[in-house]
Amino acid sequence: MKFKIFAVLLSSLFVTVSCTDLDEDLYDRVEDNNFGTTPDEIDALVGGAYSSLRGFSDEISNAFPGSEFVFFLNEVVSDEATIPTRGTNWYDGGVYQRAQNHTWLAEDGIILSAWRYCYAGIAKVNSIIYQVDQSGLTEAEKTPIYAELRSVRAYYYYMLLDMFGNVPIVTDFEDTGLPSNSSRQEVYNFVEAELLESLPYLKSEIVYSKFTKNVAYALLARLYLNSEAFVGTPRWQDCINMCQNISGYTLEPDYFANFLTENENSSETIFAIPYDNDAGTIGNYMNSMSLHYLHRLTVSASGNDFPWSANGMSAQPGVYSSFAENDMRIDAILIGDQINVATNSVIMMDNGSPLTYTEEISSLADAQENEGGRLFKYETKAGEQWERDHDLVIIRYAEILIMQAECYVRLGNPDGAIPFLTQITERAGTDMPDMIDLQFINQESLREFIFEGKRRTDTIRFGTFFEPWWEKGSTEPYRAIFPIPATVLSTNTNLTQNPGY
Amino acid sequence: MTLKNIHKSPNPFRTFKALFALLLLCCLSMTAYAQEKLLVTGTIFDNNGLELAGATILEVGTTNGTTADFDGKFSLQVTTGNDIQISYLGYATQTINITANTAMPLQVTLQEDAYALDAVELVAVGYGTMRKSDLTGAISTVSADELEKGVISSTEQVLQGKVAGLTVIQGTGDPSSGASLRLRGGTSLTASNNPLVVVDGIPGVDINTVQPNDIKTIDVLKDASATAIYGSRGANGVIIITTKSQKSGFNVTYNGYTGISYASNNLDMLSANQWRQYVRDNNVTGAIDYGGDTDWQEELQTTSATMSHTVSLASGAEYNGLRASVSYLDNKGIIKTTGLERLSGNLSIYQYAMDKKLKFDAGMFATVDKWNPLDYRIFERAFNLNPTIPVYDENGNFTSVDGTLYENPVEILTNRTADSKRNRLLGYFKTEADLCTDLKAVLNLSYEHNASTGNTYKPSYAILEGITENGYAQKTYGEYTNMQLETYLNYTKEFGKNNLNLMGGYSFLENVYEGFGAQRSGFVTNAFGYNNLGAGTNYRIGDVYSYKGKSRLVSFFARANYSFNSRFMLTATIREDGSSRFGKNNKWGTFPSASVAWRISNEAFLEDSSWLTNLKLRAGYGVTGNQDGIGEYKSLSILGAGNDSYYDPATGDWSLAYSPTQNPNPDLKWETTEQFNIGLDFSLFNFLNGTIEWYNKYTKDLLYTYEVPQPPYLVGTMLANVGELSNKGIELSLNANIINTDKFTWDANLTMAHNKQKIEKLSNQTYETDVIYSGSLHGLSGLSNQFSQIIAEGYPVGTFWGYESSGLDENGNFILSEEKTDIGNIQPDLSMGLAMNFTYSNFDFAITGYGMFGQEVLNATNMVLYNPNRLPAYNVPDGYLDSGINEPSPTYSSYWIEDASFFRLQSMSLGYTIPFEKSNSKLRVYLLGENLAVFTGYEGVDPEIDMSGLANPGIDRFNNYPRPTTISLGLNLTLGN
Repeated sequence: MKFKIFAVLLSSLFVTVSCTDLDEDLYDRVEDNNFGTTPDEIDALVGGAYSSLRGFSDEISNAFPGSEFVFFLNEVVSDEATIPTRGTNWYDGGVYQRAQNHTWLAEDGIILSAWRYCYAGIAKVNSIIYQVDQSGLTEAEKTPIYAELRSVRAYYYYMLLDMFGNVPIVTDFEDTGLPSNSSRQEVYNFVEAELLESLPYLKSEIVYSKFTKNVAYALLARLYLNSEAFVGTPRWQDCINMCQNISGYTLEPDYFANFLTENENSSETIFAIPYDNDAGTIGNYMNSMSLHYLHRLTVSASGNDFPWSANGMSAQPGVYSSFAENDMRIDAILIGDQINVATNSVIMMDNGSPLTYTEEISSLADAQENEGGRLFKYETKAGEQWERDHDLVIIRYAEILIMQAECYVRLGNPDGAIPFLTQITERAGTDMPDMIDLQFINQESLREFIFEGKRRTDTIRFGTFFEPWWEKGSTEPYRAIFPIPATVLSTNTNLTQNPGY
Repeated sequence: MTLKNIHKSPNPFRTFKALFALLLLCCLSMTAYAQEKLLVTGTIFDNNGLELAGATILEVGTTNGTTADFDGKFSLQVTTGNDIQISYLGYATQTINITANTAMPLQVTLQEDAYALDAVELVAVGYGTMRKSDLTGAISTVSADELEKGVISSTEQVLQGKVAGLTVIQGTGDPSSGASLRLRGGTSLTASNNPLVVVDGIPGVDINTVQPNDIKTIDVLKDASATAIYGSRGANGVIIITTKSQKSGFNVTYNGYTGISYASNNLDMLSANQWRQYVRDNNVTGAIDYGGDTDWQEELQTTSATMSHTVSLASGAEYNGLRASVSYLDNKGIIKTTGLERLSGNLSIYQYAMDKKLKFDAGMFATVDKWNPLDYRIFERAFNLNPTIPVYDENGNFTSVDGTLYENPVEILTNRTADSKRNRLLGYFKTEADLCTDLKAVLNLSYEHNASTGNTYKPSYAILEGITENGYAQKTYGEYTNMQLETYLNYTKEFGKNNLNLMGGYSFLENVYEGFGAQRSGFVTNAFGYNNLGAGTNYRIGDVYSYKGKSRLVSFFARANYSFNSRFMLTATIREDGSSRFGKNNKWGTFPSASVAWRISNEAFLEDSSWLTNLKLRAGYGVTGNQDGIGEYKSLSILGAGNDSYYDPATGDWSLAYSPTQNPNPDLKWETTEQFNIGLDFSLFNFLNGTIEWYNKYTKDLLYTYEVPQPPYLVGTMLANVGELSNKGIELSLNANIINTDKFTWDANLTMAHNKQKIEKLSNQTYETDVIYSGSLHGLSGLSNQFSQIIAEGYPVGTFWGYESSGLDENGNFILSEEKTDIGNIQPDLSMGLAMNFTYSNFDFAITGYGMFGQEVLNATNMVLYNPNRLPAYNVPDGYLDSGINEPSPTYSSYWIEDASFFRLQSMSLGYTIPFEKSNSKLRVYLLGENLAVFTGYEGVDPEIDMSGLANPGIDRFNNYPRPTTISLGLNLTLGN
């Protein structure tokens, strides 16, 4: 009998312990529907829209606007920079040679990286808009937040319009259907409308690194400047008008003040992406990617107070000599013998030759380690880490000046350009030419904005993008925009490839 | 307790309750009756006339029974007219009818019988055991005998080459790194392909919790009909480890060995003199001779000493027994500073109560591991550095020459501290109750705790991070616990020639993991090492972190076995698994199986066959799952606060942003593997035993972090169930007692396996994927963001995809095909293991080896080192000078794909045993050599390359830590009664 009792006890134990609760308990993270109700939480969400501007790195690609590969892509297809193959280094399946020679493929990862940078940012903004929508804020509280978020999103769409043209427009976080392309004109209209609708609710005062009225004006000015190139409709006067709305900025007397490690105080910067190594920001290592492996010896006596560099990107041959000798901006390119600060002698490379940066590069496919002028625009000093602290400058007041100058020339009034250009050349220490024409504006844009990631867009507008340079032949017009990346096309069958590809 | 998340399954709860009610009913309906009893006494002998202890004496048709004592004597009250059955492992069972006239005491002699071994050998099948003769699934058993020979430092190595279809790859020679186990080709792209390990009935245990000396048997469940009882964790097979326990008498054992190890092979790089010769002969300009003569590989290596000591005590009596063991292992690595020091203890106790109707088992395993993690960056530098650079300069400081990946590797190795420790604890308490005749209830509670600490310090003078960070210290801690409750009822009934076994139960597992870490840099003094993080001056976001997570697995399971006349056997199992990790649309999965066996040799037409003593045909089908690839919270829409910060211009400070981190996937679920298996067991002439298995595995809903289109998705990748994968193969195991005389024995084991893998699908209605690039070459000079392999429909995992090379042109450049194509894959055509054991008088000799044939490896080491740009600054292999290669661009092509077939002579041992008279004591001394030779055409250091994971399977990338060759001298001492 006692065993029957035992049996019953055991079976009841069995039933008691039969827990079938399969809900997940969260400890170190939070589900999105449990977040975004307090003002602090809303701030932390909206902050994510700005942090997304720094890009990301994941198992597929590095998508950083200041380095690999968004910046790389736009620089290497332009006439100001190159990543030559040096010995075994920087071959990487020939991707940089193809980019330079304008024979890039839809399969090239650097193109995917630029696409994903934009769409990851857009998706994130969409998700934040969704969260703000779900929060308990009043409509009056929500409106300025939406305006700021939509403007950040318009910035991403502007880049897509510029690089890929016919891209899908997605604005609803909850819609996970596979979208199809919009035409380049539709994307153009979307960017313009989003910025114009947001403008009334954006802040009028200067708020560093945030999307304010001034930033929206500047972006609209860019849009109108490139309107002919983008959609075939010139809008030069609209560009001038938009530039006239911008106020509160002056040129820094020292050109390089914009590119100091502590550059957040520049009076010239309209929009920048802030970085701070101690705050854990990543992706700001362009300097590390350009200087020679041994460059640290020129900075640090111990050789150890400056990070290793990767000896990659350089100025294209001919760019350095296009600067006048008295042009202070020429120091954005580093040329010449590199001196070991400990020994005061020229650094010797491990192949036994001196480390002397040269303007010339013997060949894109087989360059020497020391060849090519280096990107030296942002401050370089001892104590730096691989990830730099300087903020990435996106829009400067100098651009507002040169945009207006170009529009006046385009409108057949070169004299109208003089007041704007004079400010630029005076600061650079150069002379104004006798005749102001588009060729001059094109070259002056190169000199003023060298290594700021604008050159591809500018040369397409001036048409020189399609002409031969260095080792490159003529470029077919369809290459004014990049192909939709191959993996995107294969995972979304609703998309069609850009014409020509 | 909530039931709201039960979807899909037709209320498993109710089904199982009904089953239990039925089982209880069976029990309560039993009746007993009384008859006249007789005291039977006797002695049992073996066929050599020695008393046999431990034999089981059972009154047939009842549970009345006893065990023979140390002198083979027994006594038992038996009902007159009934039969008693006397059985013992490896002996033919005898049945004696007891009548009033039976002469007492009985003198019973049991005959040894290899065939009978099958009938009494119990094989662990999960939630119970089965007689080997009744098995219907594909299960291989590694016995204690096999465990005691050959390689003995880790439980994983014990299995090498022993089980057909089970591949054990020790990726490196680093004693602190584990091996990867893979059964029948692996079924997953993302998840672990390691089989589920069950220790003494506790599933999911870390295999290194158990030390080789404590193991009695290892049963490897291979096909789905055997593993489906473990449901969503059974797809990669199940390894059931049963530890030793003492049934009677006592014994004390000591096992110890000491050995030396050295690198079995190095790459032939230019020596300083070869380098100088090359520079002279070729009038190389710019070559700098630093005046030294350094073999950088050897500078990192040492001849190391290993020792191990294990002591165990065990005793057993009729009602209780215990076993305790303590072992210490100090396995020094052949790379300086590395090694593994392990202290482990195991204690187990059993106790019967209430006339043996209740049995309690309690046990505990504990291990402490200590090791010094290695900075693997030293290996590439050892191949780079010019051999004329001396390790130390004239002042005794490390030589430092500038260059890329050119830091002095001896300096890297020396000037940093890294100490890691891991504690493992497994405790269990098991209760078995005979509720009534034929019905047994089992309750098993277990607790597993695994905690790791890591400490690193790079002083301010240490190259690579130490100098740039001005001293860098880090401490990390991580732990997990598994709390598990399993309970089941087991019902056994014999009626006539029918044998029925029913089992049903419930299991609950809760896993909690948590940890934290901190790092600081900027130390004024190096005096503190990693012990005073507060003294660091630099602080960055991300320098402190902590985490915690939890998951639950709830299961109901049942099994039925039926056999008729020992000729036909049928097994059916079902398991319902619910996991908190699964998405809300797929919380519960069902995993059924069925299998049948026909023992043909028991049929009348074969019963008298003298040559075919056993012939059994088995067939089974089952569905199993794999849920390892799903981390916690992967199905949810989650916001993370990590390194994502934003600048607040108002304050100039940085604040943390909260951002979505993943695409939610409410459909996330286990990977499903359907497997069909046909097996044939046979014994010929009582000397050759064998098994042939054929299987067809098809895995659906493959988990992978698929690329999803952006837009619309938030994140570019998403964990989802999409692809399909098949594995088909055959396996052969042969075991032969070639010679078996009093003085000389020779037996041999051979296992062979062939598996063919194919990705069947990578897309479904929602996700489109043509190809996934894998086998990253990133980090190799000139090969950033390049991939060497594809995962694509129609190809196996690890397919090399690149240009076909047809050699070199007159300039020494590669001649390559226009298009990339399939240029090989890492899947072997044939894996095999071979073991032979000889005894002559008191000497024993054993030899084991294993091999893999037909697999290809990318020799990325040579691909990087055979480059004209390297000399004179960087070193090259000897072979480069005659290679004629003059291609400056690092080019991945079929030129660097090599056939990596090999056979490794894994161990050879010679022992001598001194028996002690009149006791079960003995002393054995032995000499053991491990990794004595590798037969291969592969040009790299070692053809056996890690194949686990997707990142770099089958890529020889500076082949890291060389495997050692070890020579040991050992001693086994057993003192028993």
